[in-house]
Amino acid sequence: MSQKAEQIMLRKVTDYLFEIPKHGKMRVPARIFADERAIRDLTSQSSQDWNALQQLEHVAMLPGIQKAAMAMADVHPGYGFPIGGVAAFDPKENGVISVAGVGFDINCGVRCLRTILTRKDLAGKEEQLADTMYKVIPAGLGSTGELKLSVKEIDRVLREGAHYAVRLGYGREEDLEYIEETGRLADADPTVVSNTAKQRQLAQVGTLGSGNHYVEVQVVDQIYNAQAAEAFGLELGQIVIMLHTGSRALGHQIGTDYLPFLERATRKYGIEVPDRELVCAPIDSPEGQQYFHAVMAGANCAFANRQVLTHLVRQAFWEALRVPDTAIQTLYEVAHNTVKWEIHEVDGVQKRLLVHRKGSTRAFGPGRPEIPARYRHVGQPVLVGGTMGTASYILVGTPLGMQETFGTALHGAGRSKSRRAAKKAYPADEIIRRLREQGILVRAHGKASISEEAPGAYKDVDHVVDVMCNAGIVARVARLRPIICLKG
Amino acid sequence: MPYTYLDHQADIGLEATGATLVEALEDAVRGLLGLLVDLETVEPREQVPIRAEADDPGGLFVALLNAVLAAIDLHRMFFRDVSLTRVEQTPEGWVAEGTLTGEPIDLSKHAVEIEVKAATYGGFLAEQTPEGWRFRCVLDL
Repeated sequence: MSQKAEQIMLRKVTDYLFEIPKHGKMRVPARIFADERAIRDLTSQSSQDWNALQQLEHVAMLPGIQKAAMAMADVHPGYGFPIGGVAAFDPKENGVISVAGVGFDINCGVRCLRTILTRKDLAGKEEQLADTMYKVIPAGLGSTGELKLSVKEIDRVLREGAHYAVRLGYGREEDLEYIEETGRLADADPTVVSNTAKQRQLAQVGTLGSGNHYVEVQVVDQIYNAQAAEAFGLELGQIVIMLHTGSRALGHQIGTDYLPFLERATRKYGIEVPDRELVCAPIDSPEGQQYFHAVMAGANCAFANRQVLTHLVRQAFWEALRVPDTAIQTLYEVAHNTVKWEIHEVDGVQKRLLVHRKGSTRAFGPGRPEIPARYRHVGQPVLVGGTMGTASYILVGTPLGMQETFGTALHGAGRSKSRRAAKKAYPADEIIRRLREQGILVRAHGKASISEEAPGAYKDVDHVVDVMCNAGIVARVARLRPIICLKG
Repeated sequence: MPYTYLDHQADIGLEATGATLVEALEDAVRGLLGLLVDLETVEPREQVPIRAEADDPGGLFVALLNAVLAAIDLHRMFFRDVSLTRVEQTPEGWVAEGTLTGEPIDLSKHAVEIEVKAATYGGFLAEQTPEGWRFRCVLDL
């Protein structure tokens, strides 16, 4: 099936929001957070074989979708769903659950660790820390973690998530409070996860992966919101660490196993889908339920993975700098490939909806019970990863975001160049040299990672954050500059 | 070219062609293997079986690529080539069977490129042409 787009109709709603009106088989409109410049870029790609706007139109055709199929400002083409997308479904209106709405890297996410160190404490020790991180943290294709588990133990990972990792001695109890869902989803059912998925994961808990996954040491270089920064424990000049990874092979295999499974369900329930990747099942059907419980198990695996990696980051700081592990605390962890039950208001009615976030981050405003008590008065921290050479941001959810986007915001800069184009344009050695000149050390296991993930391959993160903040969906708290970047 | 890579902002598209179904599927696997690791660094020392099933030939293409990704983790091996000995329609659906040739992963020897998470139905195409078969999908990186 060709995905070549026909003419896409766009209506400007505000300076930062565009809408594709409901037409054809769309059940709701599609909305894109973008300014004129970003929308020009997006529409110029509409003749390509795969484009984000057409993917968003397709999502708007799925049964039970509420309000609108939405894309954040970092939107770019994915498979089935665009990356940067959010879609909420009501089971009472035949709402569906979709593999593409979660992605293959189930519960991929970002954790931010704050430290008691300042930029000065690292001066002259950056190389040593970078080398130690490279040694201690397994990354890249084919790497294995120090944790070798049996299938029985994997089942506990799938049931208990980050809690099991803490039980095994990876990290501390207090980390858990600051993880979305406290690092464990109770609806997980390991019995609906294949043995192949479990076998693939035996040596992969506590590995970073490759592609856009990373561990970065960063410095807080700008504070925008003193009250939220204080609540989050952030100060100018402070060293923080961001880590970005997901559920590794286990999550990938769950997606792989359930794609044909849901394809059969799509036929069984007579659901018309515009793209084979958008196969889905009614949420309340046995097939939909089974996939949901498998996804929850995959999500727990990602929670455990980031918990083990947090421990490894602490270990690297201890080995390199003799920084005790209590000096490194979990600020927050957010996921950006998820599906979750949440209560939201639609047309004045409180509804229990299944919210799919594919490459977008939950961004709840103040007062929501899901937010840790310490942050609840200011809103949920939203972690936005930049690129190796550019800023990352800590933002905070707003009441307007709750109304407009089911409490959802962007997750990163969003790619602008294909990996192949980036590989040609940015030789790895040159990128490493240029970043070094800017005071950023890079360590990578795979040759392709550096070129393909070069800053020039991404949209301008400052601009993307501007759009979402100007739209009022999130608010800036702090900007972070990279110092050390470890990639797969 | 029996296989080509297609530009995709986040991931990569893979298109494979072949005069027969077997050839097209084998070329698709070669296209996948070439993305993961520099094949010149992988020696053909050991063989492992590979098997995939699906409801139709296009589904078999996606399932086979995913079976290769699983085999890398399950056998802790990188592969240099594939040979399919059986591709046919059965009463239960389509089946592909064959062998992957490669060696145990040795990160001091193998020049890894990038991890592919999965073959997806994004950008999916499966068609029989006058020249044979043509398949296409997006690989999630």
